[in-house]
This record gives sequence, C-alpha cells and structure tokens, in this order.
Amino acid sequence: MTEALLDIEDLRVTFTGRGRGPEVRAVDGVTYSVYAGQTLAIVGESGSGKTVSCRALMGLLPPGAVVTGSARFQGTQLIGLSDDQLRQHRGANVAMVFQDPARSLNPTMRVGAQIAEAVRAHQDVSKAQARQRAIDLLRLVRMPLPERRSAEYPHQLSGGMRQRVMIAIALACRPRLLIADEATTALDVTTQAQIMELMLELQAELGMALMFISHDLGLAGAYADEVIVMYAGRIVEQAPAIELVTRVRMPYTQALFEAIPRLERPAHAPLPVIGGRPPDPAMLPQGCAFEPRCRRAADDCRAAAPPLAEHEPGHRWACWHPVNGGPS
Amino acid sequence: MSAPLPELLAPGTEPSVARASRARGRGRALNLRIWLPAGFLVLLFCACFLWPLVYPVPKPTGGSILEAGLPPLSPGHIFGTDPVGNDVFSRILYGGRVSFEVGLSVTAIGLVIGGLLGTAAGYWGGAVDTVIMRVLDVLIAFPALVLALAIAEGLGPSEMHVIWALSFFSIPAFGRIARSATLSLRGQTFMLAARLSGTSRRRMILRHVVPNIMPQLLTFSLLGIGVAIILEGALSFLGLGIPLPEASWGSMIAQGQGTLSASPEYVLIPSAFLFVTVVALNVLGDALRERWAR
Amino acid sequence: MAIAEEVREQAEPGAARTRRARPSVRLTGRRLLAVIPVLLGVTFLTFVVMNLLPGDAAQELLGANATPAQVHQLEIQLHLNEPFWVRYGGWLGGLLHGNLGTSLASRENVTTILGQRLPVTAELLIYAFAGSIVFAVGLAVLAARKPNGIADRISMVVSMTGLSVAPYVLALVLIYIFAVRVQWFPAIGYTSLTQDPAANIRSLTLPAIAIGFPLFSVYTRLLRADIVEQMQREDYIVTARAKGVPPWRVLIRHALPNSLFGLITLVALNLGTLVGAVAIIEPIFSLPGVGAILIQSITDHDVPVVEGIVVVFAVVVVLAGLIADLLYATLDPRIRYERAAS
Repeated sequence: MTEALLDIEDLRVTFTGRGRGPEVRAVDGVTYSVYAGQTLAIVGESGSGKTVSCRALMGLLPPGAVVTGSARFQGTQLIGLSDDQLRQHRGANVAMVFQDPARSLNPTMRVGAQIAEAVRAHQDVSKAQARQRAIDLLRLVRMPLPERRSAEYPHQLSGGMRQRVMIAIALACRPRLLIADEATTALDVTTQAQIMELMLELQAELGMALMFISHDLGLAGAYADEVIVMYAGRIVEQAPAIELVTRVRMPYTQALFEAIPRLERPAHAPLPVIGGRPPDPAMLPQGCAFEPRCRRAADDCRAAAPPLAEHEPGHRWACWHPVNGGPS
Repeated sequence: MSAPLPELLAPGTEPSVARASRARGRGRALNLRIWLPAGFLVLLFCACFLWPLVYPVPKPTGGSILEAGLPPLSPGHIFGTDPVGNDVFSRILYGGRVSFEVGLSVTAIGLVIGGLLGTAAGYWGGAVDTVIMRVLDVLIAFPALVLALAIAEGLGPSEMHVIWALSFFSIPAFGRIARSATLSLRGQTFMLAARLSGTSRRRMILRHVVPNIMPQLLTFSLLGIGVAIILEGALSFLGLGIPLPEASWGSMIAQGQGTLSASPEYVLIPSAFLFVTVVALNVLGDALRERWAR
Repeated sequence: MAIAEEVREQAEPGAARTRRARPSVRLTGRRLLAVIPVLLGVTFLTFVVMNLLPGDAAQELLGANATPAQVHQLEIQLHLNEPFWVRYGGWLGGLLHGNLGTSLASRENVTTILGQRLPVTAELLIYAFAGSIVFAVGLAVLAARKPNGIADRISMVVSMTGLSVAPYVLALVLIYIFAVRVQWFPAIGYTSLTQDPAANIRSLTLPAIAIGFPLFSVYTRLLRADIVEQMQREDYIVTARAKGVPPWRVLIRHALPNSLFGLITLVALNLGTLVGAVAIIEPIFSLPGVGAILIQSITDHDVPVVEGIVVVFAVVVVLAGLIADLLYATLDPRIRYERAAS
C-alpha cells in the first residue's frame, strides 16, 4: 500500500452563527485519501459540501469558517496552519482550477503576467525568466500561438482558452495535486471533453494526482479511477469507478445514475429526477440525510444515520438498505 | 465593473451561510448606531423647539450691552453671552430651530418633488425620462453656489429664500436617486410578474415601486438633511442666509471669526453643535442603510 | 470576436496596435467638442440668472445715495441699458476672440484679473486634491487589508468626521489650533511660489486641508468599500490567493486597480462643486484667488467677472471628464478594445 499523498480524516467545516442562529455544518465529517498519480472524482449536488471541503484544505474559505479534523499532505498537517504557512503549499504542492474562467482571471492583467505571477510566487526567478516560463506553460497546455496569447487579456480569449490559461497557472510550479473544482461546468460539451482530456494527459505527463469535483456522475464515471459521492456534507459512497457503475449500493447514487439523460430511452419519457431538495445545512437531521427523498427509506433510516463503512473491499457506503442487496 | 455577484463559496452553496455569520456579529453594534444618534437627534429637536416654551430662557436677540462678552458658565448664561449681549445658549437653541426647519423642509421638498419626478422618469422611460433627466442634469451641471448665492442675495436674506435656494439642488439629487432606484427595480423579475398578472400601472407604482425604493430614499434623506444644514450654515456664514440679528449656527460662527484667538468659544460652540448634529444624521443614515440592505 | 482579431492579425501584424491609438484620439476629439454646448449652456444660464436679479451693477457701484440720473448715466457707460440678447451676444462674441471683457466694478480686464488669481486657486485645488487622493488610497488599502480590524475602524471614524464637518467650520478650527495655539501655519495671507516655495506651501496647507479633508473622507469610504467588495466577492481574487500570491500583492496588484473606477468617477464629478468650496475658504484665509472675488462680484452684479470664472470652471469640468474617460481606458483593457471595435 503506497503512502497517501493527501490524507483527510474527519474533516468538518462549520460556519458559526456567532450566537445568533444555528451553526451551519457544510462539511460533516469527511475521510478519504488521495494517492500519487490517482484520478479521484468527488460528485455531489449543490450544497453537498464538495467544494467547501477542498477549499478548506487550501485555506480559501471566507472568515467565519471553522475547520476541524485532519488533512495531511505528504505528512504535513494543513489544518490549523497560518495563512503564511499555507501559502507555501498553495500553487506549489496543491493547485486549484476553478469553475468560471471568465471571472476567475483578473480582467485587467495580461494572461502571461498572471501565469508569470504564479511562477514567481514560489520560485526565485527574474521577471523575464518568469515570462518565458509562462509561454512554455501555455505551450504545455496546447495553446496555439503561445507568445501571442501571452500578451493578451482574458476577454480576448474564448472560454476553452481561458480554462487552459487557468490550468497553466495551476501547473506553474509543478504541484503534486491538482484540484479541478467544476472546471468544465461552464464550458460547452465539446470544450468540456477537450479540457478533461488535457488534464488527464498533463496528469500522466507530470505525474500528478488529479482530484476533480463535479455534479456530473457521468463525467466522473468516464474519467476517474475512483469516485466519491457526497451528500449533505458527508461521504455516502466511495468506490473505484467501474465498481460504482456496475455495482452501485447507495440509493442516492443509483438515483443519480438514473437521472442522467440517455439516448436509448424512449422519446418523451419523463426524466427520473430525484424529488425534493437537499437538507438545510443549518438543520441536519438526526437520521440519514437522504431519507426524505429515498425510495427505500424505512423507519430505522430516520432514527440514526448510517455510518460509512467498507462493506466490500475497496467499496464504502453508508446506508441501512443498500441497493442490490449489499450488506448494511 | 462588477459582474453579478457570485456566491462567496462554491457556486451553489447556500448563499445565506457566510453573509449571515458576519451580519449576526454586528447586529448589536448596529442597533447602537441606530438608537444612539436617533435618540440624540430627538433630544436636540425637543430641546430647540420645546425648551424655551417650558423653561424660561433669555431671549436670543436684543440683549443689552451691559451683559456683553460674558464667558461660558456665568450665572444665568450657561454658554455666556456674545459681544452684543445676547445669550449664547438661547441663540444655540433658536439657531437649532432654524437648522431643523431648513434641513427638514429642503429634504421634504426634494423627497416629494424630486422623488416623484425621478420615479416617473425611471418607470415610464422614453420621452418622459429624457425630458426630466435633461432638466435635472442642467440643474446639476450648473455652478451651484453661484445660483444659490444669487438667489439668496437677489431676493434678500430670509429663511424662506434659503429653503427655496437649497431645494433647487435637493430636487435633482433626489430625482437621480429615485430614478436609478426605480430603474434597478424595473429589471427585477417580480415586477415583470406583477405586470403580467395584470396589475394596473398606478397600482404598480404605489404597491410595488414606492415601498421598495423608500428605504433608499429615506437613508438618502437623512444624509440630505445633514447636507442641507451645512449649506444653510454656509449661506448664513456668508451673510446671505438667515439675517441677523436672528440666530443661526452659521452666522454665529461667522460672527465669532473676528474674536477667534481671544474668545474661541463663539466659534467653537456653534461649530460643535453643527458637527455633532450632522454626525448623528450621517451615522444614523449609514446604519439604516446597512440594516435595510440585508 | 477573438477569432476575427486573430485572423486579422495574421493578415496584417501590428494592426491591433494602431487600432488602439485611434479610439483615444477620437474620444479626445469628441470630448473637446462637447465643451462648446456645455459652455454655451452654462454661460447662458449664468447670464439669465444674473439679469433676473433685481438691481444692477451701476446701482451697486454708486451705492444707495446715488440719484437716478447718475445711475442712468453709468448704465449707459457700462452698456447696461442695451437689451439682454445684445449684451449676451456681445460678450459671447468677445469670448470667441479670447476677450472676456472688463470688470464692471474695477474696470480691469477680466483676463488680467483671472490671470492673477487663477494660479492661486489652481495651486490650492491641486494641493487639496492630490493630498486627499493620495491619503485616501493609502488609508483605504490599509483598512481593506482587514475589514473591521483596527485600521478599518479608525478609517471609518475618520471618514465619518470628514463627511460631517462643514468646510468653513474645519477652516476656523484649523486656524484656531494650528495658527493661534500652535503657530505652525499662518492664519491668513499668501506667498507666491516664485517668491518663497516653503512659505507658499505653508500658507496653502491649512486651506488645502479644509477643502481636502471632506474629499479625503468620501474617497476613503468609497474606495475602501470597493476594494473590500472586490476582495470578498470576485473569483479572480480567489485564484490569486490559490496561486500563493502574498496578501499585500493580492490587495494592491489585483484588487486595487479594479476598484479605482468609482473613485475616478467621483473625483471628476467633484471638481464641479469646488467653485463653492473655494468661494468660502479663500476669503477666510485671505487668499487672493478666484473664489475670493466670486461672491463680491455676484453682489456687485459684475457679470463679466462672474461669467469669466464660470467659463474657466466649465472648461475644467469637461476636461476632468475627458481625463476620467482616458483613465478608465488605461485601467480596463476591455474598454480600450470595445472602443476599437466600434
């Protein structure tokens, strides 16, 4: 068993009410590991805590967020580090690519300068060297005419090109772990595929671990080695991608699969969406959080929340009445 | 410059989360910033208008030379007397009356007339909007002081004329605020929904537009009262506002200029009142804007 | 849009660069042309207002004891008996030849009067503005570093004070503290720059503070709010932090340039209101500037002098608008390129 690159244990993120109102539990005890070179997908609905948990690692949450638990990167504990100390890791060891490249790039700064800035944040090179490095990075992300592009502003580039710039920024210091937070959600489908392919190629070239966050289970199934499904701040299922697709256990995951529109379905067949809404993170129930929307819900689901356990080798889930008759 | 505001955290996370945590912490301090200045203003208002009725105070004008130049804390004259013999304390009270009268009138006129014009311009748009806005723009572009001075000087100094002159500027100011508030309201979905469900234009304005722009207009009014008080002070300071021997904080300050080194209190006392009153108005206006923006 | 640019670029390399130059020139030209209708409108209105007022220059000059005959004679001398349009047209004609007329009160050439007094006012205003902007940027950046921290609370208190104080009150308080009590600055009087630079600065400092402090307060508040909003709500700030950029650099290199637009707009708007401020402050400090004679000229019905001052300020306001536009384009490349496309 190789040592994990990133070890998360019982990570919790709450937003305090400061005496007025209940505290909001965005991430409610999350444990998992990421290994070098692995492609891990974290899937969940809006509000499931998937983005908050990753931003917590990097210390990018707004003030007022309380983070507890453990997150070890190559042995170093990240939780509790000061902003200065975390800065050593940001970009250098762990890098992030964000969702909306139109808003995630400084509109008044040239693209090349923004990449060069990432280089100089951790490496002691001259401005000229950093600029050259920026052009090299643009070439790395398969950007046509990199010298020309480097001098342009974000609004002059298309969405796909902007996202390549974001990736170039993220890779500037050769991080060991790249986190892509809904990196393809804002792109059209063709560009989406291109960017995903690019990230996987770069991952192989540079020997990075890739963690991508998405609400698209289909995407996760297609590109990831391992998939984690989150709901209401907790992990509800985790398995290698193939295993998840073929032998899903959590009713929630199954419902997510069924909700993916498929070409083979008869025309005008209603889409099997999951009724209801995720629970309010300020008022999480005592029992299973998915119970109100679950087809297989029973009384014991309301009484106590099922624990996440590795019921089968490599496959964890948290359910009292899993699908396909697996053990609970 | 700013795009529609993205959520603080990941897209899709509950928006109330982060904003709520910060807001709760400042709730108590906010209350203080609302009630403290409000209380002070009410107190001052009552003092200026009611005190002389209830409690005998020396008259603010027609003082005798024999009592001239008494320092503060003299018997019978808490703030002393001015070089002509008038009791400073009562001049402060009566001057305060003037300030409140002018401030409130100018703001009320601006709010009603300017507010109506601006709302009409914003709501109807098109030709109505263009005409109203051009007129307001001209008023704003005009060298303000020249006009105010000219009016005040040409018509002769008096409280009414000061109110006229200052209303000239409060109307376009309110007009602009009302118009931009109405415009941003117009873009919202609920307006479209109300209109589609057949709401009459008049009802739209009364029930939907006005209640929603009132908070902005009211906070602007509070700040506007402060500005009006300062401007009235400026005009009186220049001798073109409230005529002597009537009391006005501005003219008291002007009078005290000559004896600034020897007896600074003639300048400092009315200045202090002017300052504290405007600070109270500004703090209150600010705090209300914060409270209502949530 | 970008693809079209690229194709064009490949066809004629360097074309984008020249395209960038043209819009600024066009913009400047348009703005300068806009001066004319503004000038016309403002001067016309001033003329109207001055003429609507009861009384006239002749009456004012001769005083209350003059006989109607004397007043009438002076009126003829000063061309005051001619109809409104003739007088305005005459003045306008003079303006087109660069002649601003003669003061009715002092019979001096208006251009001469302005030439003597404008430098004083100009220096005062530059001093006040430069100071207020520099300090505002400094304090806003410090305050925005930690919202609700110590620097921020101090900035809020200071701004509130500046917003609430009347310039004339501030002037007198400053005089009392700094000229009477601690005699660091002169209370009145002016020394020109050429005579003695140090004394010049000293004589203008208190008036500049009296004008500049309220401005500084407004600017600080606005800028601080804009910076904080950028820092808290914009995605590119998160990207910058995620790169590992140090917090000061995020603040100054990323947030600040994107927050300046509101400030620029406000400064450009403010310039117009300064006529009033100098008219009150200059007499208090006995500065021989333009503001000092403005009130007296209005009282004297000295129309040419008033119009002269109005013209100068109108031009300044329009120029300020132009500079603001140019600054927008410099700061935000999207504006630059938008204009290029149109």
